[in-house]
Amino acid sequence: MATALLYKRNGWCNLQPMRVTRPAEIAVVDLSLCDRCGLCLPLCPPEAIHLALADLVVDGVACTGCRKCVAPCPVGALSMVPNRAAA
Amino acid sequence: MPDVDVLVVGGGPAGSIAAAEAKRAAPEVSVVLLERDRAIGAPVRCAEGVGDAGLREFADPTGAPWTARKITKVIFWAPDGTEVKVAEREVGWVLDRTRFDAFLAAEAVSEGAEVRVGTEVTGMRRDGDRWVVETRGARGAETIRASIVIGADGVETMVGRWAGLDTRVPSRDMESCAQYVVQGIDFDPDAIYLQFGDQVAPGGYAWVFPKGVGVANVGLGIVALRADGRSARGYLDDWIAARYPAGAKTGYTVGGVIVHTTVKRTFADGTLIAGDAAHMVNPLSGGGIVNAMKAGRLAGRTAAAAIREKNTTADRLSSYHDDWMKLLGDDHLKYYRIKQALEDLDDGFFNALARTVNAIPTPKRTLGRIFAHALVKHPQLIPVAARFFF
Repeated sequence: MATALLYKRNGWCNLQPMRVTRPAEIAVVDLSLCDRCGLCLPLCPPEAIHLALADLVVDGVACTGCRKCVAPCPVGALSMVPNRAAA
Repeated sequence: MPDVDVLVVGGGPAGSIAAAEAKRAAPEVSVVLLERDRAIGAPVRCAEGVGDAGLREFADPTGAPWTARKITKVIFWAPDGTEVKVAEREVGWVLDRTRFDAFLAAEAVSEGAEVRVGTEVTGMRRDGDRWVVETRGARGAETIRASIVIGADGVETMVGRWAGLDTRVPSRDMESCAQYVVQGIDFDPDAIYLQFGDQVAPGGYAWVFPKGVGVANVGLGIVALRADGRSARGYLDDWIAARYPAGAKTGYTVGGVIVHTTVKRTFADGTLIAGDAAHMVNPLSGGGIVNAMKAGRLAGRTAAAAIREKNTTADRLSSYHDDWMKLLGDDHLKYYRIKQALEDLDDGFFNALARTVNAIPTPKRTLGRIFAHALVKHPQLIPVAARFFF
């Protein structure tokens, strides 16, 4: 729901139907590799990645599992894991 | 709850210039600049190269302690290694960003702005005609009420997000960059080197920017969509292993460079965003320092004038966006179209182009002549040129 609202607010993808199932995989960050450069933040369509007190946080509820953040990470700190909340 | 007229978030070139210019334009306006990291200028996420003319609009580099090296030559390496020298004059500088950023912040302080390091903004919300900004830092958690917030907080801009601006970028326009400081290598310390090629840096280029004799920032940027699965750091490790196997890597940094066009809206009620935060990097070169300073100057002046007029609405602040688009933003739209056209050309084309340019005698190698020769020999370039003019 939160994701759908974000899509709506930003007009990023107005035609996307509201999702009722959770994605099978979501992104996670390995903070031992992450350099806190912030590159992944503007790549995230639902804006699910934040820098909170200089540490990267992926919001597992807002993440749509689109993988757009994974390959661009210069140090390979982002990866996909099974989503425990998946329907 | 302390009140401030202009709160600048981020102590890079955009932020410090914005703070200084706001004070210069209206000394009675209170200006506070917040920097998340414990030191202005560190960590360095930059290749540190800057053009001479742009830099001189803001500071005199002659003999300045914040320059590392004066650059008089630009050398391109084609994908096959063919070397092309294109300039032999005062082209630019490699900065020492740690010192340069601190110098700019000190200038802001001397104009009367207050600078707080080690202070992070954790959120902001609108209350009437003000922003209520939550911060956390050396002095603990604090709340600041600000009439205008200038977001100069880089590619990750949270200020833009909190103000409801869309600062997202498609993956194809994000350069993933990695860079080492490499010591004990052999190159011309008066030159910067750039190499293109799908094997070296797909969708971007690799660079050697001298910091001194035998010491350089050696890095590259790639577009991950066009890469073969290696990360930017993987590509760089392989490039350095091939080119400078004996070099000592004494430091490294990574970061993103947004090679897109300016965000559609750089302003909101009580908000301006500038520099990397607003995607103001030149999409063709990836250079952003001077652009950030130019935007910071506009933002600082606009903010000061708006405070004086007691009108900080989005409507009032929109002149900043128009001024930026006239100054550089509209040019970036052109550069972006050229970038897109160049993406269709392959390594074979660039190797052939290098040989064409090398056929022109070095002293006669002006950009205009290179362009004319290239168009005649390589008709594939005609649509690229057309995109520049239309």
